[in-house]
Amino acid sequence: MGPLPKTQGNPKTLASLLHPSRRPWASDGRRSGAASRGPLPSSSPFPPSPASSSSPTRPPSPNPALPIPLLPPNPQSVDGIADPKPPKAIKRMESSEDEEEKQEIEMVQADFEFFDPKPGDFNGVKLLLQSYLDKKPWDLSGFVDLILEQTTVGTIVKSASQDGEEEGDDDGGDDDESLFAVISALNLGRYAGHGCIKELKRFLLEVCSDESTKTKLKLLLEQQASDVGLLVSQRFVNCPYQLVPPLYDALFDEVSWATEDELFCFLKPTQELRDSFRLKYYMLLTRILENKNVNQRKAKQSQDYEEPFIYIKAEDEIFRELSLLSFTFRLHAEQLISHELKNYREMGLVMVVKADDISKFREKLKSLLAKS
Amino acid sequence: MATRLQFENSCEVGVFSKLTNAYCLVAIGGSENFYSAYEAELADVIPVVKTSIGGTRIIGRLCAGNKNGLLLPHTTTDQELQHLRNSLPDRVVVQRIEEKLSALGNCIACNDHVALTHPDLDRETEQLIADVLGVEVFRQTIAGNILVGSYCAFSNRGGLVHPHTSIEDQDELSTLLQVPLVAGTVNRGSEVIAAGMTVNDWTAFCGSDTTATELSVVESVFKLREAQPSTIVDEMRKSLIDSYV
Repeated sequence: MGPLPKTQGNPKTLASLLHPSRRPWASDGRRSGAASRGPLPSSSPFPPSPASSSSPTRPPSPNPALPIPLLPPNPQSVDGIADPKPPKAIKRMESSEDEEEKQEIEMVQADFEFFDPKPGDFNGVKLLLQSYLDKKPWDLSGFVDLILEQTTVGTIVKSASQDGEEEGDDDGGDDDESLFAVISALNLGRYAGHGCIKELKRFLLEVCSDESTKTKLKLLLEQQASDVGLLVSQRFVNCPYQLVPPLYDALFDEVSWATEDELFCFLKPTQELRDSFRLKYYMLLTRILENKNVNQRKAKQSQDYEEPFIYIKAEDEIFRELSLLSFTFRLHAEQLISHELKNYREMGLVMVVKADDISKFREKLKSLLAKS
Repeated sequence: MATRLQFENSCEVGVFSKLTNAYCLVAIGGSENFYSAYEAELADVIPVVKTSIGGTRIIGRLCAGNKNGLLLPHTTTDQELQHLRNSLPDRVVVQRIEEKLSALGNCIACNDHVALTHPDLDRETEQLIADVLGVEVFRQTIAGNILVGSYCAFSNRGGLVHPHTSIEDQDELSTLLQVPLVAGTVNRGSEVIAAGMTVNDWTAFCGSDTTATELSVVESVFKLREAQPSTIVDEMRKSLIDSYV
């Protein structure tokens, strides 16, 4: 599946740019009504009450054989949902399915739940972070352990269990194969002794090519490390965008709550741990697509103007606007680029954002989604 | 002794290598660390051969072998076949077989005496396994999984099977294989045993995520703690002296 190209951040136009088979939530880009609808996840920041998640709140469509793709049980928990799909759209889709045997368009209902990190999530989180430091062999397992040990700050997103009656199982679903996203903030000073953090710092300094940026980066990573939080956010490319604002809200809220009441750890006094979440800066290491053609200026007039950068995760663009410093670096790992994006090369992006600018980020993120 | 290592950030060492009592095959990787780890353990005892199969690096899952022979899928190129024939000892018969289930490493688990195979393997292939590898062949499943080569790993001294294998199945398999078996995991709870580790009679290599507990289980069931390559020669020597007398 290809990454979501960033045009205006509108999920409708994003969806229409991807091949229909790669959009699990939409049927076909041709019908604009269908693209904004499709199975919508209920993305509340707290684990949802064990109500049956897949019962529709409207009378069934004329053809009972087709899955009913719309309205989640709590419409108010999801932002930016437009009106229900008119019945004729369903019929049209049915006829297209008869004609096009190749494109099996299946509507899938999905519910996502947010959990605190726990040790059982190891394999899922490790899979998401496989390419975090390009191809370089490093202590990824140790890094994943750090994320999972920090239960107070950090969120894991999994799909809700299919069988509603299993809600008695209190440990929040053991099935880590359905882990879709992880987000966490690690204080670089608190974990400075760990091998994985040392390797990560060395990597960031190595890939930075610009000398002045490198000196600033060095300062942040060494002297000011205890003020810097590494914001780790990774998800599967086809995660619905409605998940993202609650995910970031959850993280930043947890960081502020942690400054008030970090759990007691017998090795260190609580105050030190609380202070470790009084972050002044957030550092992000992420991926973007950069246009290989340097002469974009000429192309600006023509019809096929291509964006100089495509942000695989749309919020990265907001971060980059607000960032204190940022730089890109080339990747050595094998690139998997889809045909539509053949003019683009995947690059790594490192950004540092001031913690004070986070409230601006949160507003902009909400407006990004509200545009749909 | 069991060693923990990684192949280019992946802990699935059984996918990128194949270890037997007579030779060891290693995938061509980006860094030399993987190869050096094997060389360090095995250098003087058995040849460590770098290869690809069908142009891929997943050699551990594509081929099956023991000290008597090596079976390769039909996707193996002629150059690879020749390279292997040249690099391996002469008594090891290298054979390319036409079998629609081409991931032989996933379908066949064997030691020097017994082989367990996928229930849907061709009759001709079963015959070839018995001839080339010099083993007795049994069609089996492990904990309901037909890919026996993936979900168990066994040597001449012991075996590790899928964690959900029932006690009755373990007993049955143990009788067939004539070695002690234990149900366990590698790489922090991975059930795909043979992908996470590779073993012969005196040494084992596990993925770096393998916990200390898992490693100790591996060392105890495969009897690796006191094992040295010379032990096998000593045992042979006893039988040789007997025959002189």
